[in-house]
Amino acid sequence: MAAGMDSALAIEHVASLENLPRFMSFIDDACKRVGADEDTAYALRLAIEEVCINLIHYGYKGMAPGPIRVSFRQRGDRITIKIHDHARPFDPAMAPQPDLTSDAEARPIGGLGWYLVKQSVDELDYQSDPARGNVLTLTKHNAQSRQQVTGRKRAS
Amino acid sequence: MELSVKPAGNVVVVEIRGSVDGLTADKLLQTLTEQVQAGHVRLVADCAGLDYTSSAGLRALLGTVKQARQKGGDLRLAAVRAPVLKVLELSGFTSILKYFPDVKDATASFG
Repeated sequence: MAAGMDSALAIEHVASLENLPRFMSFIDDACKRVGADEDTAYALRLAIEEVCINLIHYGYKGMAPGPIRVSFRQRGDRITIKIHDHARPFDPAMAPQPDLTSDAEARPIGGLGWYLVKQSVDELDYQSDPARGNVLTLTKHNAQSRQQVTGRKRAS
Repeated sequence: MELSVKPAGNVVVVEIRGSVDGLTADKLLQTLTEQVQAGHVRLVADCAGLDYTSSAGLRALLGTVKQARQKGGDLRLAAVRAPVLKVLELSGFTSILKYFPDVKDATASFG
């Protein structure tokens, strides 16, 4: 699909570790489909893995694992991924800042997941509704698409 | 993810290929921990074929570094590709892990 065109895709699976590769492959394939550059594809794969892992390990902890629905849309140079779930609400803004500077002996193991999600995208929005569930919206500008769109504008 | 363990003198080289993620990182940590527990505390992770890591992979690396250094050794990285190095940098791991352009240099760094 040519960069810059609208493209929307979606997938839904139960929040389980065995389904993790399905969510990651979905993002890999969607990024290929819209011609995302390698850095963008890596960043979005990382973001979706970290979000899904959090839902699988913590969001649905102590309850029957529910669904995770992931949608992917490209509009112009913006890729938007929405993750919809019915897990225990957790606003990523509440995730503590990880320790990035202590030496190895003092460095805590873990706590990097939400930090890496935030580093991987340009915008992040979280909405929680008791009836409709939680929706995390991740937006990233696709650099390669932006270049192609700019090139097309110049040509016209 | 595929792993292979190769002794190289007084160092053990663990070659990591593919994707280290929430599904595969436990196997990496287990393999590295087995080496440390067997007394092979000088470890080199050959990352030339490592395409991807998430925070799960970072946990495995940091856990191993702590174990190895407690026993007088270390885990050092070799041939880390740019996208993986970016994750290491973002996470502040390049200040605590030693990394080298290739396996030869990483192995030689142990003296």
